[in-house]
Amino acid sequence: MLQWVFLLFFTLIFSVVFTLMSPKPQDSSFSAESIKKQGGGMFGVEWATLIKVFFGGNAFIAMFVLALITIFLFKEGGQFFPQYRKDMQLYRSSGQEFVGLLKKEVDQFDSLQKELNQVQVKILTDLYEEGKEWEEVTKLTAPFQAFVQTAGASADPLRNVVKEAIDVTVAAKEKVVVNYTRRGITGIDLTTLMTDEESAASLKLSRDTVVEMMPRIEEAHKAFRQNLETTLSSIPVVELLAAREALDTYVKSAEDFLKEIPKFNKKLENYNPERPYTMFQTFTGFLFGSQWTTNSSWQDFYGIWPLLSGSLLVTSVALFFAVPIGIFAAVYVNQVATPQEQNLIKPYIEFISAIPSVVIGFFGVMVFGESLRALSQLDSLAWVPFFPLSERLNAFTAGGLLALMAVPTIFTLAEDALNNVPKAFTEASEAMGATRWQTIWRIQIPTALSGIISAVLLGFGRVIGETMVVLLCAGNRIAVPNVSEGFGTFFEPVHTMTGIIAQEMGEVVPGSIHYRALFCVGIFLFFLSLLINYVAQVIVRRYKISAG
Amino acid sequence: MTNSTLLKTFAIAGALALGTSAIAAEKIVIKGSDTLGAKMVPQIAEAFKAENPDITFEIAAEGSSTGVKAIITDMADLGMSSRDVREKEIAEAKSNGVDMQTIVVAKDAIAVIVNEKNPISKLSVEQIGAIFTGKIANWAGIGGKPGDISGYTRNTSSGTYKVFQSLAMNKEDYGDQTQKMAGNEAIASEVANNENGIGYVGLAYIDTPGIKVVMVNGVAPSNESVNDGSYVLARPLYYLSNGEPTGLAKQFVDFSLGPKGQKIVSDIHFVPVN
Repeated sequence: MLQWVFLLFFTLIFSVVFTLMSPKPQDSSFSAESIKKQGGGMFGVEWATLIKVFFGGNAFIAMFVLALITIFLFKEGGQFFPQYRKDMQLYRSSGQEFVGLLKKEVDQFDSLQKELNQVQVKILTDLYEEGKEWEEVTKLTAPFQAFVQTAGASADPLRNVVKEAIDVTVAAKEKVVVNYTRRGITGIDLTTLMTDEESAASLKLSRDTVVEMMPRIEEAHKAFRQNLETTLSSIPVVELLAAREALDTYVKSAEDFLKEIPKFNKKLENYNPERPYTMFQTFTGFLFGSQWTTNSSWQDFYGIWPLLSGSLLVTSVALFFAVPIGIFAAVYVNQVATPQEQNLIKPYIEFISAIPSVVIGFFGVMVFGESLRALSQLDSLAWVPFFPLSERLNAFTAGGLLALMAVPTIFTLAEDALNNVPKAFTEASEAMGATRWQTIWRIQIPTALSGIISAVLLGFGRVIGETMVVLLCAGNRIAVPNVSEGFGTFFEPVHTMTGIIAQEMGEVVPGSIHYRALFCVGIFLFFLSLLINYVAQVIVRRYKISAG
Repeated sequence: MTNSTLLKTFAIAGALALGTSAIAAEKIVIKGSDTLGAKMVPQIAEAFKAENPDITFEIAAEGSSTGVKAIITDMADLGMSSRDVREKEIAEAKSNGVDMQTIVVAKDAIAVIVNEKNPISKLSVEQIGAIFTGKIANWAGIGGKPGDISGYTRNTSSGTYKVFQSLAMNKEDYGDQTQKMAGNEAIASEVANNENGIGYVGLAYIDTPGIKVVMVNGVAPSNESVNDGSYVLARPLYYLSNGEPTGLAKQFVDFSLGPKGQKIVSDIHFVPVN
């Protein structure tokens, strides 16, 4: 690492020295150089050269620091992919992936059980609306609650097998890792895994053990089916209409699930744990993976999609508010306002960018989020489908505050773009008889459009890179937002790319996969911002209407 | 400069150098868990400093994992950990020639809190596990008032996060609908403001207005129930050191385990071990 720093530093020194060493004009020859010579100077070098070196040196320092940051970022983040691939290879070779398939089946059953819980919700809500108290409700619904419990317990045979398989595979994986750390090998080298007999043997044993559990898994599946069928044959009668409908939906889903069980079995039988885990799978796993699980006792997954979708959701809310406000304010201030209004409004809006982001975040948590939730709980607004809100920290709170922060950026740049519209255009338009408003809407805004678009893009870049506000206000739920709720999606808590780096960086162990994964998220953000800035510049250059 | 002035300058410089190193205070470097390092260890350090004025402390509380790493790489005199040291970490220590020792300095109970308006006041460990793994998503599922459960947890690098996973959730992953908050105070504040909220905090935060503590398997958290093992969500808090602590570190550990240190432990609502 240090050698890179020295290399770049020496480049800087070398360039300075080279400039100083460049041949100087002869004193006595009568040439253009000697006429231009200013005379004086230090260390035998003229003032002109010294000034050039000084300003050039400053530019070099800025570029040097940027190069340093970029190199460091890529060096750390780039090492993530090989390390992650080896980790996932271990996940596969220890048999954990096989057990993972089983776990997925149990998870699907849990979702089914949640549908049954929805029936409970309906029954209980109805009883509470009748005005009954909690103890009475509990007594009345006791038989149904008992039914729900037994329904949930039908997957227990499978759960027990899964638990055993988990213990076997995790123990095997731990043993391999301990084996390497004991010998001073940190990080798992796949080539070593292949040649190290002891570790390869232990992994093979674990793989074979779980695959050999297939007969027991089949038996567990059989018991599971029986339990589920018994449950379905003993559904209690429910009086409430809404609850009955929900119960019918559950019964249908349960019957579909019953048909799926043999398919799960087949999938497990056809699973091949000997396949290698490719680099391509690692890349797609990172870029499109929908799970970001860290510090887990089972397996860490690093998929950026929940964080990316959270960032995009928050950004879309922010731009939805900031773009109209910023652009229309710019139009007003530039074209319509009186000079006194201009002198008042412009500095005021630009002052917003002086407020520290952590103060805005704090305001968001304490005031904005809380009042939004209180507003949603008003009876007069109960017609809105996703009101009342249960979370005060969500994407909308964060987006609203980020809109506040993006408005000055968009406003200033849009106003500059409008200013640069040549006066000749305005005068020509008014000479043709257009009204003020027609001039603004048809001539000035289209002319300034490239600048306005670039302003919006830079606002986007500002918002997507903002950390403190989203960390405090966005709710920090690491899951892909559930779009089935329509507009309610905007009121879900989300986590963002910048937020996850800020939240997890402070306590992560340097050099671990988690540490490098966070750097990868940083690289992704870096490329995103680079792309936005590039597109903004291209748009400005291509669509700029020449003033002459 | 003349020879005598030069000599005088060197003499003064040398004296200053020696003098500063003599006045330089002795330092104890402690790194690790935020549970210990936020209040308990700084307060014990203050009390220790009151008795030994020329000792300074450098306390960095960035998570139990950083404490273990600091002892393995010899970057600290003492480590703080709110979780057990894993076998992998003990192996890594051995390969670095470090003998990882743990010293129990206090016990911490993790209290499960709900909003005070929530009618539920007792939960079994299985139910708590089902809630935080996401298997039960509605309070109606365990007989409470219908409402979507809002689970608040610590962030993923926290020792408490990990310990709760192994004590209450059978080492399963947290449900993906849980929200990761920055610290105990944030969790308490969110639960106090959300009728459907549930979370877990250390014993120091159970007096926050607006929340109530749930009985786990019928037992409420207290010094007695933690010490006799009937409250299951309890964990020991450790000092970590390379071999038996010696010198200043030993003095500090003895002070922490002595009457003054343990009094501070109980003032902060941890459970004293002596």
